[in-house]
Amino acid sequence: MIKSEKLTFKYEAFEDVDAAAALCGIDIEIESGEFVAILGHNGSGKSTLARHLNALLAPTEGTLWVGGLDTKEPANTWEIRQSTGMVFQNPDNQIIATIVEEDVAFGPENLGVSSGEIRERVDETLSLVGMSEYADFAPHHLSGGQKQRVAIAGVLAMRPGCIVLDEPSAMLDPSGRHEVMETITRLNRESGITIILITHFMEEAACANRVVVMDAGKIVMDDVPPKIFANVQRMKELGLGVPKVTELAFELRKRSVLIRQDIITVDEFVSEFAGVGADVIFREQRAGCESLTSHLAIDVGEREKSTEAEIILELKNVSHIYNANSVFEKIALSDISLQITKGEIVAVIGHTGSGKSTLIQHFNALLKPSSGEVFVDGANIHANKKLLKDIRQRVGLVFQYPEHQLFEATVYKDVAFGPTRMGLSEKEIEQQAIDALEAVGFPQEFYDKSPFELSGGQKRRAAIAGVLAMRPEVLVLDEPAAGLDPRGKEEIFAQIKKMHKALGITVILVSHSMDDAARLANRVVVMNKGCMVCDGTPSGIFAQGEFLQKIGLDTPQISQLMTRLNKIDPKIPSRIFTIEAAADVLAAVQL
Amino acid sequence: MTRITIGQFYPTNSVIHRLDPRVKLLGTIFYITALLFANHFAGYGIAVLFIAALVKISKVPPRLLFRGLRAILFILVFAASINLFLTPGENILVQFGFLRITIEGVILAIQMILRLVLLVLGSTILTLTTSPIQLTDGIESLLSPLKRLKVPSHDIAMMMTIALRFIPTLADETEKIIKAQKARGADFDTGSLTKRAKSLIPILVPLFVSAFKRADELATAMEARCYRGDINRTKMKQMKIIRTDIFAMNILIFFCIIMILTRWI
Repeated sequence: MIKSEKLTFKYEAFEDVDAAAALCGIDIEIESGEFVAILGHNGSGKSTLARHLNALLAPTEGTLWVGGLDTKEPANTWEIRQSTGMVFQNPDNQIIATIVEEDVAFGPENLGVSSGEIRERVDETLSLVGMSEYADFAPHHLSGGQKQRVAIAGVLAMRPGCIVLDEPSAMLDPSGRHEVMETITRLNRESGITIILITHFMEEAACANRVVVMDAGKIVMDDVPPKIFANVQRMKELGLGVPKVTELAFELRKRSVLIRQDIITVDEFVSEFAGVGADVIFREQRAGCESLTSHLAIDVGEREKSTEAEIILELKNVSHIYNANSVFEKIALSDISLQITKGEIVAVIGHTGSGKSTLIQHFNALLKPSSGEVFVDGANIHANKKLLKDIRQRVGLVFQYPEHQLFEATVYKDVAFGPTRMGLSEKEIEQQAIDALEAVGFPQEFYDKSPFELSGGQKRRAAIAGVLAMRPEVLVLDEPAAGLDPRGKEEIFAQIKKMHKALGITVILVSHSMDDAARLANRVVVMNKGCMVCDGTPSGIFAQGEFLQKIGLDTPQISQLMTRLNKIDPKIPSRIFTIEAAADVLAAVQL
Repeated sequence: MTRITIGQFYPTNSVIHRLDPRVKLLGTIFYITALLFANHFAGYGIAVLFIAALVKISKVPPRLLFRGLRAILFILVFAASINLFLTPGENILVQFGFLRITIEGVILAIQMILRLVLLVLGSTILTLTTSPIQLTDGIESLLSPLKRLKVPSHDIAMMMTIALRFIPTLADETEKIIKAQKARGADFDTGSLTKRAKSLIPILVPLFVSAFKRADELATAMEARCYRGDINRTKMKQMKIIRTDIFAMNILIFFCIIMILTRWI
C-alpha cells in the first residue's frame, strides 16, 4: 500500500531554523489492512510524514509510493488523495459545509461522482460511523467526538483504502476519544481499511498492530506494540511514555517480581498477574495480608476536615441558568456549594458540558450566579462592583489553550499586561512579570521574542505567566496540558507542582483526564450535568470506576487494574491510582 | 453562543419551502421590480393581498415577519416624515411655521411606508423559507451563466458557505477571548473612546491569528479531500425545476403584469 525509499524532506522557508521538523531518509513499508500507530514528540516529523502520504507535501529527496503511485508526480496527486484520506487534529477546521451530510458529500463531489451515488455513499458512511441521525445537523451543534466522526465519514465517502489520522483525539474528552478509537478499530477490522494513526496517547497506540516511533525525522523503532513498550527506558528518553500498566510491570520487575515486560493492556496484566500469581498469593497469604492492610489504612475516602484551615473560596448554593426565560434555557449549574481551603490542589473533573467551565468562571466573577453567592476570603464578590478588579487579580483564571490569547509583540510585554492593567508602578510591573516568567520556568533569552515564534509548550508557559504575574492567591487552570505531547505534559505538571510549593498558592485544576488529576490533586470534585456529584480524595473517587464510567469519565488505568485485581482477590486494595503505590502493593503480594 | 442561528430560516414543510431556491430568488427580484411600478393604492392593495397569501401558504408565523420590520423602523419613520412634511401641495391640513402637512404629503407618506414594508416583507419571506445553504446554491446556479464573463460564481458560493460555517465558531471564540482577557484585568467598558478602541487590541490580535490559522488548516483539509475548484465537480443535491416551480413562476409573472397594468387604471 505504502512504500518509501530514503524519503527526505526539508521545509524551504525554515531550512536552517526548523530542521527538526523535516524528514531524513525514511524507509517504511505499510501493507494494506494494517493498523499502524506513529509515535514521537512534537517536532519529530510525524505530521510531516503524514502529509506526504496524502501528497500534500512532496519529498525533497527519495521516493514515496502510495498504492504504487509516485507522490512526486503531479498527475498522481488526485488519485493518491482519494486513496489515502486524511483526518486532522482540530475538528472545527476540517468541516467545510454547514450541514453534516453536505460535508460528507464534499469529497465525492470534488471527485465528480454522480449525485445518486453520492447520496448512497453519504448514507452508508454516516451509518458506518454511527452518525446517521445527525445527517441534517449543523456542525457547531455536535460534540468534538461527533465532529471527528463526521470528518472520518467525509474521508470514507471517497472510498479510500487507507486513512491517515493526525492526532484525531488530541482535542477531545475521554468519551469523544472512545468514540473515535472505537470507530477506527472497527473500520480496520471489519472493512479492512488501512489505518495510520498519529497519537500522543500510548493507550491508543496499544490498540494498533504495529507501532512506529519517530525522532528527529527518523524512524527509530518499528515493531509490534508489546515489544515497543517493553523498552520503557528508551521510550522515556524519546520524550514519550508507555501505557500505565506497562510502566507498572516495569516497576514490578525493578522490585524483582517476575512479570512479563511486554504487557500493554489492563486485560493482559490481569490474566498475567492472576495466572502467575494466583497460587503465590494463596501461599503467601499471611505475608501479603499484612502489607496490604497498612496500605488500606492510608485510604480514607472522606477528606479530613481541618477546622483551622482558612477558607479562601466559597460557593453557597450557586446555580447558573443560560438564556433564562427563553426557549434555549439551559441549567448549567444547579445548587453548588463548595469550600476551598488555602493551599489545596483541587481537581475539578467532568466530561465536556458537565458544567465545569461554567463553574470556574464563577470563581472570578466572569459569570454571575443566577442564584446563590460566591465568597473570596469571606467577601461576597458581587456585593460591590468596585471589588471586581481586585477579585480578578486574586483569583487568576487560565483558560484552555491560553496561548491563543497572546497578543503583544514580545513575551515580556504580554506577561506585563495584567500588572499594567492593575495600575502598578513600572518597577513593580517589571518585578511581577519577571517573577512570573521565572515561576513557570520560562527561559530568559526568549523574553523579548514574539510569542508567535515559540514552541507550543513555551507559548503555554508564557500564557500561564501572564496570569501569574498578577500574583493571584488562587490559580485556576482549565485543561493546562491539553494538546501537548507527553514531554510537554510532564513539564507543565511538574511546573504547576513546583509553583504550588514555592508560591504557596491554591491551585484549582480543571480536567477531563483522570490521570492528570491523579498526578497532582489532593482533592477531586466531580461534575456531571451541572451538579457536583462527588467531592473527596482521589483514591476514594477513583475507586468508583463504574459510576465514573457511567457519567462519561475514565478512571486512571492503574485504578481500573486494581479494581479488576480486587475482584479476583479481595485482599488487593482497589483504591490505588499511582504506579508507585500499586507496585508496592503488588510486589508485596507476589513476595 | 453555540445556539446562534444564521439568517432566519424557519424550517417547516410548505410549498414555498419546497420551491427551487432559484425560483424564489428570481421571484423576489420580480416582485421587488413590480412593486416599483405601483403608483397608487390599487397596486399596493394587490401587493398586500399577494404577500398575505404568501405568508398563509408558507406557514411562517406572522410575528417572525414583523420582527424583520423592527430593524427598519427608523428608516420608516424618517422616510415617512420627510414625505409628510416636505411634500408641496394645494390642500394644506396643518401648518407649523414653515412645516406643513398636505393631503398629498399624507398620501405619499403612506405609500412610502407601504412600499418599504412590502419590500422588506417580500425578502423576509425568502430568507425565512430558504436555508442559507440553499440560498448559496441558488446564487451559484443563477450566476453560473456569468462564468463566461469570468465571474467566479463557484468561488463566490464556496466563500459564502465557509463564511456561514465559521460565523458561529468565530463568535464562540470571540466570547472566549473576551473572557480570558477580562480575567487578565482587561477592561472594555470604561475610559475614553480612544482608550476603549485601544482595549480592543487584545481581542482583535488573537482573533485574527486564530482566523488565519483556521483558514490555513481548512484549506489544507479541503485540498486533502481533493478540492480543486469547480473542475469536474458534481453536487449531491441537484436542483431540479419541477411543475410546482413552473406554476409558481407563472403566478409571479401574472402578478407582475397586473402590477404594471395598475398604472393605467
